[in-house]
This record gives sequence, structure tokens and C-alpha cells, in this order.
Amino acid sequence: MTENDKIQILKDILFAEDSDYIEKIAHRLENLESTLNDRQKFSTKVDPIILHQLEEFKTSIPSTLGPTITAALKTEIKKNKDEVVEAMFPILGKMIKKYIAHEIKLLSEKINKQLSFKDRMKSWFGNSTKKQEIIDELAASHIEQVLLIEKDSGLLKASYSVTQTIDEEMISGMLTAIKSFVEDAFGQKNQNLELIDYELYHIHLQSFNRFYIAVILSGNYTTKAKDKLQDLIFDFFEKFTKKDDYHVLDSDSINKQLAQNFGHAHL
Amino acid sequence: MHISKKIVVLGHFGVGKTSLIRRFVENSFSDNYKVSIGVHIVKKEVELSEEDTVSLILWDLEGTDDISRIRDSYLLGTHGLIYVFDVSRPSTFQTINDDLKKLEKRVKGVPVKVVGNKTDLILLDELKTVLDGKEISYDYLTSAKTGEKVNDLFEQLAKMLALDAEKI
Repeated sequence: MTENDKIQILKDILFAEDSDYIEKIAHRLENLESTLNDRQKFSTKVDPIILHQLEEFKTSIPSTLGPTITAALKTEIKKNKDEVVEAMFPILGKMIKKYIAHEIKLLSEKINKQLSFKDRMKSWFGNSTKKQEIIDELAASHIEQVLLIEKDSGLLKASYSVTQTIDEEMISGMLTAIKSFVEDAFGQKNQNLELIDYELYHIHLQSFNRFYIAVILSGNYTTKAKDKLQDLIFDFFEKFTKKDDYHVLDSDSINKQLAQNFGHAHL
Repeated sequence: MHISKKIVVLGHFGVGKTSLIRRFVENSFSDNYKVSIGVHIVKKEVELSEEDTVSLILWDLEGTDDISRIRDSYLLGTHGLIYVFDVSRPSTFQTINDDLKKLEKRVKGVPVKVVGNKTDLILLDELKTVLDGKEISYDYLTSAKTGEKVNDLFEQLAKMLALDAEKI
């Protein structure tokens, strides 16, 4: 028996318990390694913990992150007020329109209830003649020209026109001057000039934050036509302001967009 | 490249703002004085090169002795100002330095060209002495009647604004 064999026997006697213990640890490590490497096994162990943490996080968001998020949003809105207003304008406009339309419908229903059956029959038969329909069709509003104008400078950004008229850049300047004058004259900074009438033509003005849109119409400009026109304007403006750099877009691309939106529109 | 720029032309009553614009846009002059009311807008395209043009949208404001009474909305978004005075009437340039300070506060950073008009009515040497004495500096001395320096004024301004636009 060599010296080394003797030492090994001595080691086995002295560290018998430790070797069992080390074996157990090695076994556990193997198990742990297999759990870590096996996605399913690992997931069954970890998922409940993560879910629990997430649930806790959800409930604690308002108290922990709430003030930080609110402060960050406030600063961002303050910094980019114009952009926020510009983005909100078409959405708010549509909401207000829907609300008003709903209220008018309710009012109309109330009036209908007040009218007698005889009154209503008379009104239906009296108005819905073929002759009246033809007259209504002939008198319908037609879009002649659409101008997208910078609100402050009055400079023309883009336009769409059915027929060639006098210089659009000068019209834009004059409209801006008239608009500013009327708005100043009444001292109401938050109110906008909305309509200019001259005999057979009407100019509908829709103000936004940096721009306003002037639509020149011929024919009978009814409330129904106004309603449809506003939908077209809001739709256009929503598309127009979608890109971050919309205020520096070249006129040609906006002209095309205007033509697409207003070109085949029926009011 | 085509760009459009808004230019506001202002000054006291009867200094020849409308006449200056008419000389530049239509190359004409009339002795019949008509008071401008409110604002009149005129456009003139200035060709800087074969490819580059500048549309000057000229806002001809009604004359006023008190510059602070000019509506803010008329000055909004302007790219340049032309302050016109009548070289033959000292009352139209006595308050010029104060007026320019007030304007600078309202339209910060916007270039202002100071123009003494009606040089056909006075000897230039005498005028320069008077203006120097009152420490009034000017950019152009023009005559809408003879057309002297009128085109220079608007064309130089157009060039300057085009250069500014290129820098942006």
C-alpha cells in the first residue's frame, strides 16, 4: 500500500459525511441547472412570482408613478402647446359637431311630437314634390376653391381650385386682414369669423391653431351643406397634421391632398 | 425655388406708402392723394435668378401718428417692415427712433427698412444735415414720383429675405 492509498483511506474515514453532503449539493445543482435550462420548468417556477409582482406594480402605479407621469405630461404639453392644440382641434371639432347634431335631433323629435299628425302630413306632401327636389339639386352648394392659409402671416400654404380666379395669394392676404379686423373689432380674441357672404358666393372660414381653411362656395349654402363641409375640412386637417413636419411640407403635396379631399365632394 | 414673404409698410399719414408700392408694383404715380383706410394688400413677384423668385405680399397699412395703435394682427407673422417717412415734413420723422424701439418690441427680430420718401421735394444735402442732427439713421432715400431708389428698396429686401430663408 502506497502512501497515497493510505491518505485516501484516511480521507474516506474522516470525510465520509462531507462527501455525502457534497454529492447531495451536486445533485441539487444538477436539478437547478436543468430547471434553468428547461424553459417550461423555469417558467412554472418563475411565472407566479412575476405575475404577483406585476399585480403589485399595477396597483402601486397611481401612487408611485402617477405624480411623475402627470408632471412629465404637464411639462410636455406646456412645451409643445401649439402641437397639442393642433392635434386636438379636429378631434374636438368632430366631438362638438356630434354633440350638436345629437341635440338637434332631440329637438327635432320634440318638435315632431308637438306637431299634430295632420300638420306633419301637410308638411310632407307640401314639400316633397319632384319640382322641389330638382330646385334643391340645382341650388346645391359647390366647392369652387379651397385655400389653406397661415393664420398669422396670411400667406397661402396650399390651394385647390375648380376655376382659375384672381391671385390666390392676394385673396389669402385680404381674407386674413378682413378676418383680423373683424375679430379685433369685436374684441373677442377667442372667437373667429366663420362666414362671408356675397350674393351667389359664400366663404366658409374654419380656424385652427396655426392655419385656417377658406372654402369658397357657390349655390345655396345650407346647414346640411355646412355640416358636410366641416366633416371634409376636419378629415383633411387630421390627415394634414398627422406628420410631425406638416407645417414645413411642400405646397405641391398639400395641393394634391386638398384636391383628393375636396375634388369630388358633394355637399 | 419660390417663396412668399409678408412685408408690412407703415408710417405717418401722407408719407407716400401707397405711392411707393404703386411705383414698385405698377410703375406708376398719381398726384391725387387718397387716404388709405384699414389695409390694402398687393403682391409683386421679384425674380432673383432664373430659378428663384420671391412673392412679396405687401400690406399697405393706413397712416397713423401713433405707431402703438397699429393692430397686432396686421403685424403678426410679418417677415419684414418698411417704415416710411416724408423727408419734407419733420413731424413724420421726429418720433422715428421711439417708434422703431416700439416696433422692435412687438415684432422681435424682424428686419426693418427705414425709408425717407419724397426726395424730389428737398435738397438731399440739407436733408442729410437735418437727419444727422436728429441722429436719425435711414436705409433708403426714395422718390415715388421719380421712381428713384424704389426698386432698389424692394429688391434688396427680397434678396435679404430669400437669403434668410435659405439659412433656415
